Amino acid sequence: MKQQTKLAQKQESVAEQQTQSAKEFPNSDELLRFDAAQTAVPPEIARRLQKSAVRLPPPPSRTWWKNLIGG
Amino acid sequence: MPAGWVSSELAALYDEHSRAIFYLALRFLGDPQKAEDATHDVFLKAFRRLEQFRGDASVRTWLYRIAINRCQNICQSWHSRHIYADSGDAVLENTAARTDSPLRVLETKELGQRIQHTLDALSEEYRLLLLLVADEELSYEEIAALVGQSADAVRGKLHRARKAFAAHFEKTV
Repeated sequence: MKQQTKLAQKQESVAEQQTQSAKEFPNSDELLRFDAAQTAVPPEIARRLQKSAVRLPPPPSRTWWKNLIGG
Repeated sequence: MPAGWVSSELAALYDEHSRAIFYLALRFLGDPQKAEDATHDVFLKAFRRLEQFRGDASVRTWLYRIAINRCQNICQSWHSRHIYADSGDAVLENTAARTDSPLRVLETKELGQRIQHTLDALSEEYRLLLLLVADEELSYEEIAALVGQSADAVRGKLHRARKAFAAHFEKTV
């Protein structure tokens, strides 16, 4: 009896999980938006970028006349 | 300035746009390592050229332009050593017209793989259009400018690309 109850609970739980994960998307745009939102950017990229940016030469300073005319 | 960053501008640029650029690279290239490399290169190039950004387009569009060039270069060098992808329309010809029905997904855990397999089966042009239009920040006009076509041509191709996607997606179950 106890085993049957446990089994029923397990089946309910599985069914619940399937219902929760079942999704419907009206078109590929929505599907890709969902996928994009689920995709995490690997933190390694930021670390590499920080290291690479340090090695770059400083940007050229703006000449006085460009500052003057706002060019 | 956030810790670790040499420039607050670069940090802000990366913080706001890295997800969009990484996602485009990931799904366009279909390879997480190449997508990481491409995303790194895009932001480094953008940072180097920040002074040259004239503001004619949005920053997001400017970054996409750099990303598309980078991804296409990676694809070209890869394809020159390997095979080419099919057009993506071939499946449509042999598939019943159920492509306008909603896309049902029972298990989101493997969704990324299904999406990648579907995109891999499409031509580069369709793949790019679908990924760009999925970004709600971009207008049809901006997408058209990015791919060098008219907005009307983009709308027509997107219609076919969505159908091709749906047809291929059904086959990935």
